[in-house]
Amino acid sequence: MTPDHAALQLWPAAVSANAVETDVLILAFTVLTLLLTVPVFLAITYFALRYREGSQADRQPSGIRSNLIEISWMLIPFLLTLVFFVWGARLFVLSKNPPPDAMTIEAVGRQWMWKFQHPTGQAEINDLHVPIGQPIRLRIISQDVIHALYLPAVRMQVAALPDRYTELWFKADKTGTYHLYCSEYCGTDHSVMEGKITFMNPGDYQDWLTHAGAQQGKVAAGRVLYEAYGCAGCHEPGSAVKAPGLAGLYGSEVRLADGRTVVADDAWLREKILNPNGDRLAGGGKQVMPSFAGRIPADDLGRVIDFIKAYDTAGARAGASGAGESAEATR
Amino acid sequence: MSATGSVGGTARREPHAPESTLGRKPDYLHAESTLRSWFLTTDHKRIAILYLASITGFFVIGAVAAGVVRLALIVPNGAVMTNDTYNKAFTIHGVVMVWFFLIPSIPATFGNFLIPLMIGAKDLAFPKLNLTSWYVFMGGALFTLVSVVLGGVDTGWTFYAPLSTAFSNTWVLPALIGVTIVGFSSILTGLNFVVTIHTMRAPGMTWFKLPIFVWAHYATSLIFLLATPVITTALILLIMERAFHIGVFDPAYGGDPVLFQHLFWFYSHPAVYIMVLPGMGVISEIVPAFAQKKLFGYRFVAYASIGLASVTFFVWGHHMFVNGQSDLASLVFSVLSFAVAVPSAVKVYNWTATIHKGSLRLDTPMLYAMGYIGLFVLGGLTGLYLATLAINQHIHATYFVVAHFHYIMVGGTVLAFLGGLHFWWPKFTGRMYVEAWGRVSAFLIFLGFNVTFFPQFILGYLGMPRRYATYPPEFQLLNVLSSAGATILAAGYLFPMLYLVYSLWFGRRAPANPWNAKGLEWETASPPPAHNFLEPPEVPRIPYDYPIQAQETRDQHR
Amino acid sequence: MSSAPVPEGAVEGVGVARVAHFETVAQQRQAATLGIWAWLITELLLFSALFLVALVVRIEHPEATIAAARHLKFWIGATNTVVLICSSLTMSMAIAFSRMGWQRAMVRAMLATAALGGLFLVLKGYEYYADWDEHMMPFLADRPFALAETPAARLFVNLYYVATILHAVHLLTGILILLGMTWMAARAGFLARHQNWIEVYGLYWHFIDLVWILAFPILYVVNRSS
Repeated sequence: MTPDHAALQLWPAAVSANAVETDVLILAFTVLTLLLTVPVFLAITYFALRYREGSQADRQPSGIRSNLIEISWMLIPFLLTLVFFVWGARLFVLSKNPPPDAMTIEAVGRQWMWKFQHPTGQAEINDLHVPIGQPIRLRIISQDVIHALYLPAVRMQVAALPDRYTELWFKADKTGTYHLYCSEYCGTDHSVMEGKITFMNPGDYQDWLTHAGAQQGKVAAGRVLYEAYGCAGCHEPGSAVKAPGLAGLYGSEVRLADGRTVVADDAWLREKILNPNGDRLAGGGKQVMPSFAGRIPADDLGRVIDFIKAYDTAGARAGASGAGESAEATR
Repeated sequence: MSATGSVGGTARREPHAPESTLGRKPDYLHAESTLRSWFLTTDHKRIAILYLASITGFFVIGAVAAGVVRLALIVPNGAVMTNDTYNKAFTIHGVVMVWFFLIPSIPATFGNFLIPLMIGAKDLAFPKLNLTSWYVFMGGALFTLVSVVLGGVDTGWTFYAPLSTAFSNTWVLPALIGVTIVGFSSILTGLNFVVTIHTMRAPGMTWFKLPIFVWAHYATSLIFLLATPVITTALILLIMERAFHIGVFDPAYGGDPVLFQHLFWFYSHPAVYIMVLPGMGVISEIVPAFAQKKLFGYRFVAYASIGLASVTFFVWGHHMFVNGQSDLASLVFSVLSFAVAVPSAVKVYNWTATIHKGSLRLDTPMLYAMGYIGLFVLGGLTGLYLATLAINQHIHATYFVVAHFHYIMVGGTVLAFLGGLHFWWPKFTGRMYVEAWGRVSAFLIFLGFNVTFFPQFILGYLGMPRRYATYPPEFQLLNVLSSAGATILAAGYLFPMLYLVYSLWFGRRAPANPWNAKGLEWETASPPPAHNFLEPPEVPRIPYDYPIQAQETRDQHR
Repeated sequence: MSSAPVPEGAVEGVGVARVAHFETVAQQRQAATLGIWAWLITELLLFSALFLVALVVRIEHPEATIAAARHLKFWIGATNTVVLICSSLTMSMAIAFSRMGWQRAMVRAMLATAALGGLFLVLKGYEYYADWDEHMMPFLADRPFALAETPAARLFVNLYYVATILHAVHLLTGILILLGMTWMAARAGFLARHQNWIEVYGLYWHFIDLVWILAFPILYVVNRSS
């Protein structure tokens, strides 16, 4: 699933017509830029040589009134660049108005992960699979700070705001796997809040939805609950409370304050969540976690434990590839 | 070898303020020598030196932070330091460089020193207020440094809510307070300049005899006065929200975090011109002096300064094209941003036309000025890429933006600062630096700068987001190149610091007018006496009264 | 430091002493006046940004804003407006007396101005107490917000505190400067050397008054209608 990029590429892949036109726009703009600047650079170099102090050059005033020159070199470049304003604006307005038949995928950003939910209910974390040949509309919101979803392959990004929905749409016409990023700085693991977007043939997409998508969905759902019940607020690395981290916890041995050692299995995790004051941990940390007994329904609790199982030491990437296996365990 | 001073050439004349006058009245550096006479001085020249020393210190801090950032980015996987360390490094780099170096750099040092000299005044209108500005500046700096010493800040220099108000666990509050305080220092400096330029001009020094440097500082001061209070309000609201939960930005109770961005950029976009305009002023002094020719289109350049300062108030929204702003607003901000390019272009073409048929000397200040023109043009035009809506959607918040504003800030402001520093160094200190060393440093900086930042344009277009502690491995080659360039750049910065300090003790004594330049500041001794002029200066007939093209200027200024 | 007479309508013992770096007293006066105006424009923009935010909040959340504004003490605000207008009047009197060289009357008018400013602060303090009493301080963790069911009401309330506290800080600073200046102005010869200080300071005092005159309708009056 890694994007097959060369060590040095000089032009990014484009998978939509809009992206290709953006490239044409920027190339054309670059031509204009060169037309406007190369003469200046050449002139400066030439003048610097020609009119060096002591050189035999004609220094008689040319006698041209400067007002006309001034106004022309103000207005002509401005009018030339305005062409590009209009072109860019047209593309922009197009990219802001999705066609009515677009398929809507919900995107939620939070520190530091993306969650995508397909119209059929499957959810995935950080990675996104979409069919080609069909307009895709992403409806984006954030649960905490401002993020931004950036898809370089379609030359698009838009902020994920905490207080309102934003939108982004594209219609890809090539398959492939590319990066997706968070492009608005959002705190410690901003640079980890990235994943892969896979553009697939519609048939492959359906296939994916029924197999991998469904399994990833279970862990992703657990992850969302883990965030929603506030577990992440204390147990994620870097949080102010410094609660024990949960990555890699499942199946490991936990030392308790009274000297015993237990294995963190389903039953123990369930008990610890419902009754945090029991089985005090070694290490002398203060027990501040509230009991979740009566506050979390059994099915939600099961999903959270599923998520903890899948939460490997690699960090917050649970729910990505490899999560499917452990998600099969019963609860 | 020395290319300065009275090297042959028919257009030269000997400096007319003889050294002997200094014998009777000590210059401002030697008028008094106690510590108290420096720290309680009201002499604008000494205050400028205080600022010069302080901002050099901040430049070093900011540059070290930049070094840390470039070090981290040599490897893609973040093996050199934790994400937190990286985030703090780029935040410190941004905060220190923007608020403690770039904004005060040229106005508070050169502006402070030169405006009274250029307009033929004994001092700024409010000398005590001028000293107060420096203390306020240092007070703000103290708060910010405290936050760095305690453990740093990780919000980025933009302090976007709600990350800065509710989510960051770092020392945001002292940094915010520091930046707020520094704003007052800017306001007081701007106020002093506006009043000085209005009321303190020598008899006969009319508005259209003022050097462009003074025009540029007048425009800058207007921005200080009219934009800074808005960021002060925004920062006060952030401080109240972070410290006391008295907030209006936190979406937790219906607040609007984008509102902060509007207030922030309403200041911070004009602030770009606080950094750029004084640099343009410096270049507009250097280019005519080293071409020995009148500045082409003086009035247009003067009006362009005011034009830039005005239009820049109406383009802040171009920082927010992808931040949920209405499409109509984006269209309007986009077209207005294109309009800003017009007055900027005027200046570049006019400098080029000034060189035409001049009598050029390529001494260090002129080398910096030519480097400035090249880099500023690239920086300005890539700004138009960013102002184009469809392109912005792709390169917003990528390394393209980073490269763009470094071309403006470093390529523009820092090169102008260094060019001006070399140009007026004899006036500030009474000593000449070694010309050959100056040329070497100018080449080193130009080379190092381009190697550092040009690859970042490519990185940005390839889609590497900014402020990333780790990045996909395919971007490593360009990042290593950029870091290598940063080493050259660092050497280029270090070298002038060494030879300029060396010149203070071992440099040749400077004549009053080593460049044979026009302008009242060259009419007095180097360094000037405590009250600037021993006898009231004679205001020239026209500005930039250089030997070449006197014919045309006579036509224009009938 | 030669003392120069005031050009028009010169009164014995009233004038401005020239400071060395100015060429003439007229230049010095002009600089001082322009300086204070520049400062006041800056200050006005500082408050304008806040008022603009208030407007944005009002547009985004009209109901919540009106609900919150109902808890403002309209009559205290109105009384305070009158108090400040009176203080501007006494300040103007002080300026007029200073021009005529009536030093004692001027000092009394300045003291009256400071007293009215103090009265404003006392009333404002009482208003804050009443807010506290009505649970209108949502940022206090131990006093649940009276309008907790409309969270956006917090925005307006918060803005009200920031704006009024910022104004109160300005007023407090103004009173302290005024008292300091009164102390100096009571000494002999003050009016001969620094008459323009009174004029310049008067502009600042009027400005503080003006800010309140803007704040009162924007915060209290506009949002009162239901």
